[in-house]
Amino acid sequence: MNSAIIPVGIQKVEKMKKKPDVQQGTLALMVLKTLEVLGPLHGYGIARRIEQISGDLLEVNQGTLYPILLKLEHEGVIESEWGASENNRRARFYRLSRAGHKRVESETREWERTTAIIAQFFNIKAEELS
Amino acid sequence: MRFLRRFLMRLMNLVTRRNNDKRLREEMEEHIALETQENVRRGMSTTEARRQALLKLGTVEVVRERYHAEQTLPLVESLLGDLRYAMRQLVKSPGFTIAAIVTFTVGIGTNAAIFSSMDAVVLRPLAVPRLDRVVTISEERVRGGYAQTTLANYEDWLRSSSSFEELAVRKEADMTLMGAGDAAHIEAAITSPSFFTVLRAATLLGRVYGPEASQPGQDAVAVLNYDFWQQRFGGDSSILGRKIELDQRTYTVIGVMPKSMQYPSTADVYLPFAPTPEQLADRTKRDYLVTGRLRDGVSTQQAQAEMRTIAAHMAEAYPKTNQGWTVHVEPLLDGINGPYTPEYYRLLMGATLFLLLIVCANVANLQLARGVARRPEIAMRMALGASRWRILRQLLTENILLGLAGAAGGLAFGAFFLHLTLITMPERVARYMSGWSNISLNGRVLLFSLLIAGLAGIVAGMAPAAEALRVNLVNQLKAGSRSSVGSGRMHRLRNIFAVAQISLAVALVIGAALISKGMNAWLHVADFYQPGSILTFNIDLPESRYGTAQKRAQWYAASLSRLRALPGVTHAELTSALPYDDNGWVRDVEIENRSVVPGKLQSALYLPVSSGYFDTLRAPVVAGRGFNQEDSLGSMPVAIVSERFVAQHFPGENPLGHRIRMGGHDSNENEPWLTIVGVAKETNYSLWDPIPHTAVYVDTGQIPPLSIKYALTTGGNPLSVAQAARRALADLDPAIPLNTVETYAQLMHDNLIGLIYVAALLGFDAAFALLLAAIGIFGVMANLVGERTREFGVRLAMGARREDVLHMVLRRAGQLTAIGLSIGLVLAFALAHGLASLLRGVRPGEPMVFAVMALAIMVVALAASWIPAWRAGRVDPMVALRED
Repeated sequence: MNSAIIPVGIQKVEKMKKKPDVQQGTLALMVLKTLEVLGPLHGYGIARRIEQISGDLLEVNQGTLYPILLKLEHEGVIESEWGASENNRRARFYRLSRAGHKRVESETREWERTTAIIAQFFNIKAEELS
Repeated sequence: MRFLRRFLMRLMNLVTRRNNDKRLREEMEEHIALETQENVRRGMSTTEARRQALLKLGTVEVVRERYHAEQTLPLVESLLGDLRYAMRQLVKSPGFTIAAIVTFTVGIGTNAAIFSSMDAVVLRPLAVPRLDRVVTISEERVRGGYAQTTLANYEDWLRSSSSFEELAVRKEADMTLMGAGDAAHIEAAITSPSFFTVLRAATLLGRVYGPEASQPGQDAVAVLNYDFWQQRFGGDSSILGRKIELDQRTYTVIGVMPKSMQYPSTADVYLPFAPTPEQLADRTKRDYLVTGRLRDGVSTQQAQAEMRTIAAHMAEAYPKTNQGWTVHVEPLLDGINGPYTPEYYRLLMGATLFLLLIVCANVANLQLARGVARRPEIAMRMALGASRWRILRQLLTENILLGLAGAAGGLAFGAFFLHLTLITMPERVARYMSGWSNISLNGRVLLFSLLIAGLAGIVAGMAPAAEALRVNLVNQLKAGSRSSVGSGRMHRLRNIFAVAQISLAVALVIGAALISKGMNAWLHVADFYQPGSILTFNIDLPESRYGTAQKRAQWYAASLSRLRALPGVTHAELTSALPYDDNGWVRDVEIENRSVVPGKLQSALYLPVSSGYFDTLRAPVVAGRGFNQEDSLGSMPVAIVSERFVAQHFPGENPLGHRIRMGGHDSNENEPWLTIVGVAKETNYSLWDPIPHTAVYVDTGQIPPLSIKYALTTGGNPLSVAQAARRALADLDPAIPLNTVETYAQLMHDNLIGLIYVAALLGFDAAFALLLAAIGIFGVMANLVGERTREFGVRLAMGARREDVLHMVLRRAGQLTAIGLSIGLVLAFALAHGLASLLRGVRPGEPMVFAVMALAIMVVALAASWIPAWRAGRVDPMVALRED
């Protein structure tokens, strides 16, 4: 396994020790954004896409992914139904609901604001404050 | 919002037991299939591709568990599991379960009953919205003492105050009701229409009167109080529009107030107040009661400060009538409850919560005994990986379940208990307690019961659960399912609980005994007057027909001679109050040619009596003369004063011949100067007042009042002459009803009813506490004997006598009892001092009570221990040694 891979979500404790924590809720946002851009996807598709988009730096843990999908479904931001997968077998497809679109928008704004603030802090130079 | 939605979805899944397990499995299979495919594409062999896919997925069980946790509410789910398990455990040991539930039932039930009556009487006597904003406003003498107000002052307050949303005025009037059954004496509240808006009172039926009714001529409408409507009209819902006749005037009933809105509680009807201009300008008759609703943000103190400023201005503007007067504003609730009732209730509630503590100790003790048998089970569960917290939660669940079962039983018990309280309260006392008729087991009581049930469960379960968790895993599992002897620590704990029970019981029992003794002494305080043989009743002469002294004097003379002629009646006399009756009229008194010392309250109890009163009621005239036939309406007005009056105002002087006048400063000029002609033996007219009043007696033949109390002494049962007395007076005037016909003894009982209640309920608490303490020590001793059977067998085999073993056990019980007793006595002593400061008549230093009660508790505890001790003595050495 590539040591540069950053785990998303909760993984086995031994692994967590070495690698930096990823902010809670990040995976949910990634799932929502992926669904927004790519349309309906099944669980594996979502996991794979997230890994690809991150340039295989992230590894999505299925033990976390499916409970999160269920949670988002309970919250009403995604919906799911049975469909046929690439190899023509039954698979559960998830897509963004109307509430989900709004949620992505607001979360994106929130995220941008946070990163902007953090960025400001990184750019601080001592002379600017004196 | 989204959290709520998520929660609801999970709750739904939980309730419908929807299981998405199949869906997850299918999704995971597909996931692995796709992952494998992908891996193959990357160049792995089929077997390796699948292996890698499975590795990446991780443990299937973990995924499933997490998924399941997300799907429903795991906490609730495990709680339900715990509940099911607890239920099974409790069913498995029915003896313990029944004992625990019964004790909880009584403990919680008593608490629920006391709380519900306290809630109705003290906390929320009226269903008035924002009751805390409603205040009463009375005038206060600068020298001390409150009074009602005059109408002109009220009008000024209305104009110049800004603290109130609204003010209302009312006066109370005694009236005679005709045309609805027998003539009846009723009490009316004559109110300004704003009275209902101040209280924000809605009617049960019909409407209340509005501002139009305060115009003279439009005020012939009446609103009925709930109780009066029930009793007099049988709750007739077609009452609206009916005519009733009050003091020869016809009123139309337009509304009925609801049960929860009986204020003032003595009022039977509400009538509109239509003041005349003369009344409105009057500053001398302090006959009016004022209530008001504070504006938002104005405190009682602020309102009082404003009113005092206004009063100061008015004292300058009207020095003759308003000098020396200021204003007192107090929350309506304080006025309704009076000083004693909340104290009584607080005391009872405290004692009853005390009882609940004893109940908890009892259940804890039972749990500890049971804990020994459960050790293997707990050890097994811990060995299987259950965390301590998980087991603790399970054990506490069991206890809370017990508590809740107790609460269910407790509500039933409480309802029964309340019923007893309600039926034993005399109606004539209940009517003076606003809120008494609202007592019921309502939502708040339910909530309170559930709360204390949960708390009691936790309190009772904490120590046993903690003890159960101290199990030594290895030893316990080695011992297997054989139940083992409890640890020394556990014995200590059980002893502590037994001792705690005894000491709490001691405190309660002694407290109750002190109160009973105080109450008993008070019930017999009037025995000197032979209250069992005296019949009393009150009458009120309607002013419309008995407006002149002449007519009243005639009535009194005629009625007395008729009553005296009745067979069985030895004496018939009049008085405004009987000894210890707390019913007199305290008035200012002025002595001729003496200046009033400023700041010194100079008042006396004013008692119109008939001439034979002094001898009949054993308050003989000790100096001068009594009243006689010569004292009439036309002759010089005379008075007889009490010995205390002489001691206070004429020390070392002869009071005879001096003149006094009632009413002092505010007396209108009609009040006559009274010449003192006699001195009567000192008699106490108050149970409660710490300082006895001086008394001034006047002759009812000379100064006949409008209302009076009759006292008839009889040879036998006084109630047997009641009917004859009623008929005799009805012959004179059928429209004058006799009120509160009862014996003097009953009257004393009514006056002491609060104390009697406290004593009875506390007595119940104490008896139950004692029973629990006895069960507690019995349990501990039985447990001890059970565990040491073998040892006793050995002792007996080695030659110990049976008595030795018996004494050994009893000695142990005696030690525990002695410790409990000594702690309890300290507690009781503290409690006694608290009680004495709270309840007059209860004396803290009653060594006899302490000694007798301590002895009684000792006997009970030892009696309870005797059975296990006796069993210890009966151990058969052969059997005991063969065991194991």
